[in-house]
Amino acid sequence: MEAEPQSIFYDGRTSRRHSVTINVGDKLEIVEHGVTLASWEWHDIRRLEMRGESLRLTAITAPDLARLDISDTLLKQRIASLCPVLERASRPTRSAQLRTVALVMLMLISVAGLLWFGIPYVAARVAPAIPIAWEKRLGDVADAQIGKIFPGKTCGSRAGTAALNTLMERLTEKSDLPYAPTITVIRSNVPNAFALPGGKIYLLEGLLARANSPDEIAGVLAHELGHLRHRDHLRRLVANGGTAYVVGLFFGDVAGAGALLFATRELLGAAYSRETESNADHVAAEIMAQLHRSPVPMGELLLRIEKSDDGGAIGLLRDHPLSVSRLTELKKLDTGNHAPPLLTNEEWAALKTICG
Amino acid sequence: MTIAAATDFGSPPATPRDSPVEFAGDRRAFRQLVVRGAFAELLTLGFYRFWLATATRRVLWSSTAVDGEPFEYHGTARELFLGLVFAVAILAPFYLLNFLLGVEAERQKTFASLPLVLAFVLFRQFAIYRARRYRLHRTSWRGIRFGMTGSGWKYAAIAAMRGGLNGLTLGAALPWSQAALERYKMNHTTFGELEGRFEGTGGELFKRGWWLWALMFFAPLAFLLLTATGTKNGFAAASILLITVVGAPFWYATFKAIEWKWWLEGLRIGGMSVSSNLSPRALIGTYWKVAGFLILIFVVAIIVAIAGTYGMTLAGFSMPKAGSKGSIPLPFLVVWGATYLLALLGFGVVFRIYLLRRVWQIVSDSATVHHVEQADDVAARPGSASALGEGFADSLDLFGF
Repeated sequence: MEAEPQSIFYDGRTSRRHSVTINVGDKLEIVEHGVTLASWEWHDIRRLEMRGESLRLTAITAPDLARLDISDTLLKQRIASLCPVLERASRPTRSAQLRTVALVMLMLISVAGLLWFGIPYVAARVAPAIPIAWEKRLGDVADAQIGKIFPGKTCGSRAGTAALNTLMERLTEKSDLPYAPTITVIRSNVPNAFALPGGKIYLLEGLLARANSPDEIAGVLAHELGHLRHRDHLRRLVANGGTAYVVGLFFGDVAGAGALLFATRELLGAAYSRETESNADHVAAEIMAQLHRSPVPMGELLLRIEKSDDGGAIGLLRDHPLSVSRLTELKKLDTGNHAPPLLTNEEWAALKTICG
Repeated sequence: MTIAAATDFGSPPATPRDSPVEFAGDRRAFRQLVVRGAFAELLTLGFYRFWLATATRRVLWSSTAVDGEPFEYHGTARELFLGLVFAVAILAPFYLLNFLLGVEAERQKTFASLPLVLAFVLFRQFAIYRARRYRLHRTSWRGIRFGMTGSGWKYAAIAAMRGGLNGLTLGAALPWSQAALERYKMNHTTFGELEGRFEGTGGELFKRGWWLWALMFFAPLAFLLLTATGTKNGFAAASILLITVVGAPFWYATFKAIEWKWWLEGLRIGGMSVSSNLSPRALIGTYWKVAGFLILIFVVAIIVAIAGTYGMTLAGFSMPKAGSKGSIPLPFLVVWGATYLLALLGFGVVFRIYLLRRVWQIVSDSATVHHVEQADDVAARPGSASALGEGFADSLDLFGF
C-alpha cells in the first residue's frame, strides 16, 4: 500500500467530486479519508478518452458513469502497466469496426436489392389491385397538366374524327379493357402518342404526318391500349413513389437525396420501361392479330422516326432507342394480313388531315 | 461510504461558487473530422451521417467544461441508425396517405391536403422534442446524466399553436412563443435529481430585439410604398432593399446572438443559473463567413458544371435538341449530379464548422454558471430514452418542412 497524490473520483451515483488516493494492490482501491469507496479488478479497468493530461478510467463492473481521473504521471504509468485490457472500451475493436462496416454494406446491398427487384415486384402486384376509379382520378390530374402543355390545340375535323373513332372501336373491341378509352388528337409536330391512366389516349399530329398506312397508327394505338391493360402508369407510379421513399429516407442528408433519387430513377426507369414497352408491343401484336392485320408496320414507323430524329427523341422510344430489336420481335409475332385494311382510303385520308 | 461523504471537505452547504463555461476545442482537428466525414458520406451514399453526427457531438461535448469537468456524450451511431430505420417503417403509411390525399387535392383543386400538412408540422415538432430528449439522456456531467420528461405531443400542440400565433401577428408574438416553448422544454429537463426551469420572458426578448422585428416588418413595407409611389424614390427604395437583403447575415446574426444570450440567462437547473456577456455583434463575423462560403461554393459548382458539360460535349456526347422531348444522356446527369452532391457536402462542411462548432464556441465562451456548488452533490435518477425521435427528425428533415 502506498499513498499517492490526490485523484478525482465520481462514483456514478451522485455528482459528488471525491478527492481520493489510490491504493495499488491486488486490486485498484479508491480511498477517501481512509474509507474505500470502490475497488476495481485490474482486468475490469478501461481507459476513456479525455481531453487534457489526465488519465480517465472506468470499470466494467462499476456503475455506468463511474469515473476516475488520475493526473499524476508516475501513477498513470503504474496503472497502465497493471491493466491488461485498458484500451478495450475506449475504442471499438477492429472486429467491431469491421462488423459495423459489414452492417452498412449489407444495408446498402439490401436497399439496392429492394430498389432493383423488390419495388418493381411489389408495384406489379399492387397496381392491379388499385380500383379503376382511382386510376381515373390520377388520369384527371395528368389530363389537367396536358391541358396546360397543349392549351386549346386539339384537332377534330368531322370526317377525321369519324375515321379515328372507327379505328379505335375496332381496336378497343379486342383490347380486353374493362372500360372504353377515349382518343384525342393534338396539334403538335412531335411524332408521339401516349396514354394517361384511366384511359385517355393522345395522338400527336406529328405521328399522323409521318405514318404511311392505317396499320402503322393502329399498331401504335394498340400499343397504348397495351399500356392501359397492364396498368403500367400505376406500376410506374407505385415504383417511383416507393423508390423515392426508400432512397430519400435512407440516404438522407437533406437535398443530397434529391440528386441520388434523380439518378436512380433514370437508371431503374430505363430497365423497367424496356420491359413494359416490350409487353405493350406484345399486346399490340395480339390485338392486330385478332383483327387479322400485321403489327410490323408499327415497328417500321418507329424505326423511321428514330432514324430521322437521330436517336430516339420521342416518348415511345426514348427509354430504349432499340427499335430494330423491337421490329424483329414484332416480325416474330406477325400472323400476316388476312383482312382488308382497318380504314378505307377515304377514311385514312380524312384521318391524315384531321387537323386541317 | 455515507459517513465518509458527510465528513468530506467541509460541511455542506458549500460556499457559493461561479464557473465560466470553458471551450477547449481543436479547430484543425474538427475541420479534419467534418471534411473526412463529408467524403465518407459521399462514399457511403449518406449512411455515414450517423457516425459523423455522433463523432461531432462527442467532440463538442468533451471540449466543453463547466467547473473544470467536461461533458460526456454517450450516444452511438448505431442507435441513430436504428432510430431512422424504425422511423422509416412507422412513417411509411403516413406518406402513402399524404400521396393519395395530394392526388385528390390536385384533382379537386382544393386544400384537401392542408390537414395533412398540419399533421406533419405537428409530427415534426414531436420529433424535435424527442430528439432533444434523446440527446439529453445521452449527456452526462460529473458522472450524472441529464434527462427530460414531458410529452412530445403536448409540446407539438403548444408549438403548432404558437406557430399559428406568430403567423397571425406577423412575427410580433415570436418572443413570447419562444419563451413558452423554452419553458416547456426546460421545465421538463433534469440533471440527476435537480429540476430545470426557464425564467426568460417573452417581454425581455422583445425588449432586446424589437428593433430587428420592426426592421424586418417595416423595411419591405417602406420598399413597397416607395416603389408604388413612382420612380422618383428609386434610390431610397434600392437602398432599403440593399440594407435588408444584403444585410441579412447582419440582422440574422444579431437576432441569433440576442436570442442566445436571452436563452442562456433564462436557464435554471436547481439553484444554478447562467449569465452571458454575449454581445449582439458576436456572431456577425461567423454568419458573414457562412454567407461568403455558400456563395463561393455555389459559384464554383456552377463553373464546374458548365466546364463538365462542355467536356462531355467534347467527349462526343450531345444534348437533345431544344424543343424535342428527348431525355438527357446519362454522362451529363452524372456530371451534374456529382457537382450537386459535392456542393451539398461543401455546404455541410461549412455548416458544421461555422454554424455548429464556431457558434457553439462563441456562445459557450460567453457563459458563466453561477452557484455551481449546487451541483456538488446531486443524486442520479434512472431512466433512458430511445433514438426513435431523432430518427423521425432525420427522416423529416429531408422533406424540408
